[in-house]
Amino acid sequence: MNMNQQQKSGTDPWVEFIDVGVTKLSPAGTSMVILDRISFTARQGEITGIIGASGSGKSTLIRLCNRLDDPSEGTIKVNGQNIATIDTLLLRRKIALVLQKPFMFEGTLLENLQRPFLFRKLAPPSAESLEIARVLDLVQLSKEMLKRNARSLSGGEQQRVNLARALVNHPEVLLLDEPTSALDHPSTARLANTLSNICQSEHLAIIVVTHDLYLAEHIVNHLIYLEEGRIVEQGVGPQMLAMPQTTAFSNFLAKPEKSSS
Amino acid sequence: MNNPHIIPLDVIQLVYAYALILLSLALARLQQIGHEKQLLWSSIRMLVQLIAVGYLLHLIFAINSPLPVVLMLLAMAGFSLQVAGSRIKQRMPNFYRVVGSSIIIGCGGVTIYFSLLVVGFSPWFDPRYLIPLAGMIFGNAMNGASLAAERLSSEMHERREEIECALSLGATSRQSAAEAIRNAYSAALRPTINTMAATGIVALPGMMTGQILSGTEPIIAVRYQIAILCAITGAVAVTSFLIVQQGYRRFFTDAHQLKRE
Repeated sequence: MNMNQQQKSGTDPWVEFIDVGVTKLSPAGTSMVILDRISFTARQGEITGIIGASGSGKSTLIRLCNRLDDPSEGTIKVNGQNIATIDTLLLRRKIALVLQKPFMFEGTLLENLQRPFLFRKLAPPSAESLEIARVLDLVQLSKEMLKRNARSLSGGEQQRVNLARALVNHPEVLLLDEPTSALDHPSTARLANTLSNICQSEHLAIIVVTHDLYLAEHIVNHLIYLEEGRIVEQGVGPQMLAMPQTTAFSNFLAKPEKSSS
Repeated sequence: MNNPHIIPLDVIQLVYAYALILLSLALARLQQIGHEKQLLWSSIRMLVQLIAVGYLLHLIFAINSPLPVVLMLLAMAGFSLQVAGSRIKQRMPNFYRVVGSSIIIGCGGVTIYFSLLVVGFSPWFDPRYLIPLAGMIFGNAMNGASLAAERLSSEMHERREEIECALSLGATSRQSAAEAIRNAYSAALRPTINTMAATGIVALPGMMTGQILSGTEPIIAVRYQIAILCAITGAVAVTSFLIVQQGYRRFFTDAHQLKRE
């Protein structure tokens, strides 16, 4: 069953990109446009997918949302407020970013889940706490795994810990950068199911950067196709995939394996 | 003013000493290490620099006024910074400002403390005490400064993923770089700690040996050596501390963003 059919459609604009551009200097000293006048809206209770070939600017775009980087021009709003006016540390607790490569801090799985609390100088929740039980349940990890060394977990398990760790802060927006890049097909399907459930149960706005058409087809509500830093096409995910409106997007769909980031 | 206990070395005796360099050069050529030119050039530099500094010190001792002594100390600080900079391949942003201010505060502070409180010579600028003491303090702290700055840069580079993961979870710049800061500081202190542990067993320090050769009672020479090792440790600790504490901030923006490399 298509998971989109299970999702209720969101209404409130939660993350808004308004004419956002990123320009960088190349090693040769010339100006390079990485993102050009990007405008879109991601809503609560919806999954927004950003797809595109390698070097299209997808990862740069997602890093702007929680201010790991700043745009050269344009405005990004979260719940109507310009993120440039929000304290960065507060913003990052509201907007969690799950990076492409799951990094595990030294220690057990539990210690990894406790990290965000330590960063905020709060008492970390115990293994028996409701908070830990909640995030383990969301990402479908068992409580018995809490004592295991996080770095000894499999790639799929580490990706789940990565997700759980982002969710302990009770974010309003969840950003994922290529979450399935290191996963096999069964793990990808499980993660897709997990994301779909989290989106509904937590009523989050989820933005996922991916080159994985499985995610785009099965869980993405709003799909954006990027090419060379520009939005070439955007719309309702399954419809866009079924009837691409541009040659560029058709070509991408024909050869998606060429893209990697 | 010649010390009756010491055997003065004339030019012929120095030529005999220099023969050992020529022996080293021959052995290096025999082993084909490819650094023969460097060995010869370094020995010539050593010769010229020491003769020059000998005459300079002779002049400064004769003038016996604070200005040339202070200028000499500033020149030492400048050379320390230049040597530290030339040794490092991967420099942190604002390298000279960070390391320069740390050397001046760390080494300058310890030299003043040591001169006034520990040795307590008079007048305060007595070049016979101040210049050799400052030379040892600056020279050793320069090694610590190089290690601290280089290790901090490499740690920040290698731990980029870890740092961005921590930032994404709401960590401050300082929290995210804590491990890099700790490792850089540890690397800077390690040689000084090892030197202290080995002094008197593995090697007799140069200053103590020099004092004994010039007729000083070994017990007094040992007391001076203990005091100067304490001063060197203090200078390395303070200078390296200032470098890592000032240095890590240069890798971040005020909004807790890791700057692009």
